Amino acid sequence: MNVWLIATTVLLTGLVPCLWVAMRGSIISALAALELASTITTLALLMIAQGLRRDPFVDLALVSAILSFTGALTFVRFLERWV
Amino acid sequence: MNAADVAVGVLLAIGVASALMGSLGILATRNPYDQLHFTGPATVIGPVAIAAAVLVEEPLSSAGIKAVLIALIMVATGPILLHATARAARIRERGRWVLLPKELDSKEEPSRSSKP
Repeated sequence: MNVWLIATTVLLTGLVPCLWVAMRGSIISALAALELASTITTLALLMIAQGLRRDPFVDLALVSAILSFTGALTFVRFLERWV
Repeated sequence: MNAADVAVGVLLAIGVASALMGSLGILATRNPYDQLHFTGPATVIGPVAIAAAVLVEEPLSSAGIKAVLIALIMVATGPILLHATARAARIRERGRWVLLPKELDSKEEPSRSSKP
């Protein structure tokens, strides 16, 4: 277990408060928690790929960074207009 | 343990700490606008620090270039998403994005807002 995987483990504990706020807060608070959770997940994917020395796995983090933006933007548009 | 290992450790600590502080901040506050503020450092400082750590360990490799690309995407899209979310919160709260006449009055003459 190298420094990357240790840092990833510490980073992933940050998902617990996001999960709590997403369950208990208002709907905009839940969206803020979702955005933070997707940031943490993307960073964790990047750090896991680096920690395991698997360069192709970095593509997962790249796809996650792009899709989390479009996904959150979709939620924003729905919350702004219809829901 | 050489200087590069120390630099990687420090950059990882900065990146992880910024994300964790954002996570604790979102738990500690209740107002959605305050919570949105705490997502800012995690989407800007975190990716930049971790991409820098990857670059220190493997300069000019495939992973290093992709890590820089990820950091650029997150730094560019984070503030856009933050603004769009705050806009959606305001539209849900007030019905409109623009300043309401009542808010304009209180902005021009702050003393009036304190009166009942």
